[in-house]
Amino acid sequence: MPNGVRTARRRWLLLTPALVILLFAATGPLLIVLVYSFLTPGDYGGVVWTFSTDAWFNVVVERDFFDDTLSFADAHLSIFWRSVKLSLVTTLVAFIVGFPTAYFIATRPRETRDMWMLLIMVPFWTNLLIRTFAVMEIIRNEGVINTGLIQLGIIDAPIQMLFTEFAVTLGMVYVYLPLMVLPIYASMERMDFSLIEAGYDLYASRWRILRKVIFPLVKPGVVAGSILVFVPALGAYVTPRVLGGGKQLMLGNLIELQFGQGRNWPLGAALSISLLAIVMVALFVYVRSAGTQEGRHD
Amino acid sequence: MPRGESSDGARRMINIVALSKTFGSGATAFTALTDINITIRENEFFTLLGPSGCGKTTLLRSIAGFVDPSSGSLTIHGDDILSKPPYARPVNTVFQNYALFPHMTVAENIGFGLEMLDRPKSEIRSVVGEMLELVQMTEMADRMTSQISGGQQQRVALARALAPKPEVLLLDEPLSALDFKLRKEMQIELKRLQSETGITFVFVTHDQEEALTMSDRIAVMNKGRILQVGGPKDIYDHPAERFVADFIGDTNFVTAEIQSLEGDTALVRLPSGRQIAARSAPDGAVSGPVTIAVRPEHATLEAQGALLDGLLKNIVYFGTDTHYHVMTQDGSTFVIRRQNQPDAAEDHKVGEQVGISFNPGVAQVLRD
Ligand SMILES: Nc1ncnc2c1ncn2[C@@H]1O[C@H](COP(=O)(O)OP(=O)(O)OP(=O)(O)O)[C@@H](O)[C@H]1O
Ligand SMILES: [Mg+2]
Repeated sequence: MPNGVRTARRRWLLLTPALVILLFAATGPLLIVLVYSFLTPGDYGGVVWTFSTDAWFNVVVERDFFDDTLSFADAHLSIFWRSVKLSLVTTLVAFIVGFPTAYFIATRPRETRDMWMLLIMVPFWTNLLIRTFAVMEIIRNEGVINTGLIQLGIIDAPIQMLFTEFAVTLGMVYVYLPLMVLPIYASMERMDFSLIEAGYDLYASRWRILRKVIFPLVKPGVVAGSILVFVPALGAYVTPRVLGGGKQLMLGNLIELQFGQGRNWPLGAALSISLLAIVMVALFVYVRSAGTQEGRHD
Repeated sequence: MPRGESSDGARRMINIVALSKTFGSGATAFTALTDINITIRENEFFTLLGPSGCGKTTLLRSIAGFVDPSSGSLTIHGDDILSKPPYARPVNTVFQNYALFPHMTVAENIGFGLEMLDRPKSEIRSVVGEMLELVQMTEMADRMTSQISGGQQQRVALARALAPKPEVLLLDEPLSALDFKLRKEMQIELKRLQSETGITFVFVTHDQEEALTMSDRIAVMNKGRILQVGGPKDIYDHPAERFVADFIGDTNFVTAEIQSLEGDTALVRLPSGRQIAARSAPDGAVSGPVTIAVRPEHATLEAQGALLDGLLKNIVYFGTDTHYHVMTQDGSTFVIRRQNQPDAAEDHKVGEQVGISFNPGVAQVLRD
């Protein structure tokens, strides 16, 4: 047997466990969801094994319950739009907050960096619900901020923050911030800080150092961080549910609704696949544009 | 005396007075530079030479603006620059690890300084072209810096620092990462660049040979202090301190006693009882026991009854020269180096009694 064939075979052997897990844990369920999206909803949830494209139809079009007229599924579309918008804003804010944070940590003395990183990660290890309720406790009408401001006499009536898009964005930024800080910090820590000195030496101001030296070098971390925040933010449902109070539904909530009270599993499945498609397209566009700027000279 | 001119008429470039640097405070405080005083002249190739950890980089970084000295003053052309940030100082640095920007091409690296100075695109292009030619890297202009060899990276680092035409170029052991042959080539190239551009070079190295071959003047440092400043020949022939004599080249140390002193000539008595004229150290001892230094190639092997006598312990053949190890009366070893002649027969045998001789004025009285 030629040597090349043997090593190739061995490589496949090594990959087998990973492939098996991928097959059963990722591809399998995905296929089930895909199949369900082409079935008919059962009366009490679940599916009836009759082929139907209604679910896909219902993603974008609504059939009136009484007179069967068709109209755009405005509710769905506005939820899609809100999800994309809030996720983008969340990613942007997480970057604006996370980038300086990562820079701060990366420039601390080596001994204290782990401690700072730990402080960033501890909330991340806390239960999501608890963290979300903590945010709620801070911004609700009788919460820390409003009571504080009223007691100080700055405002008379509480500012409505809870159950707004602001609340949802704030909650999501808080929840996903570590996912932005971590990869940026990782690429910053690997960065050679003497490059910054070289920049200063060659007459670059602080702002230009940031733009011309630091940012291009940590860009892979920024790309990774943005993906890590954007993707789960798009599918988030706990945070929008608690902080948006059912008024600021996002895709995750809509999907959850179909599998729960809505008892329309096929629609839920179709929406899930749509979400996946949005994520894939967004990632493709994002990585492509991030990649072309970087790979200019390769 | 006009501003920026020293007593010997040469234009002063950098003037460092009573500069000190202490890192940290309290129990962990560490003084890396103590009372540094140097004047570096215009168009000079000035070298900071010293062992690892002696403070060379700290001094260089003080000039560049990355280290804030604890006390003292530092002027360039008479302007106090200590209050200025690195990007406002008329100096550029070739970093020890080159610190080339990995996300830029060779040409973009070289043009970076000019770009930051907001020079017009056409000017940047032409200067970059010039620099590429100067360091012979024109064909590699569009490569990324990760795609060129170490020696080429070094040349790019040099070109990048030269492109904005700084008044002073600071070089922190730029050749230390190169292999022997390339290092020799780059030494010559650096010298050529320096004379072609007329820029003042402040060069850091811990390689004494490199310092001797390249420099106009050398400052020898140890433990945060400048021990001696002078031309290569001056430093080699007349080291002021034991450390300098030991660090640069090989030296024999002989204990002696000053008999009399006249100008910079001291009459010293050797352990053998014989006397010879030696050069005295500035601010050195004027009488009593001292150590004198004699270079191995400045001494000759004679018959017994010379300045010093001893037993020939060893003969080591080195190709270009031969080393004779002589154990003198006080038990120390004195090495004599003799250049080899073609087909000359060895006329000495290990174990024989020999004498050591050197000319008046060759020996140097050390300060400590
Ligand atoms: N930021 C700092 N904090 C504390 N001590 C420092 C700092 N930078 C340098 N030192 C100390 O100052 C001394 C001089 O350091 P420096 O880097 O100037 O040495 P060097 O002569 O350049 O040595 P090498 O030849 O190894 O590069 C060293 O003992 C070093 O440990
Ligand atoms: Mg150094």
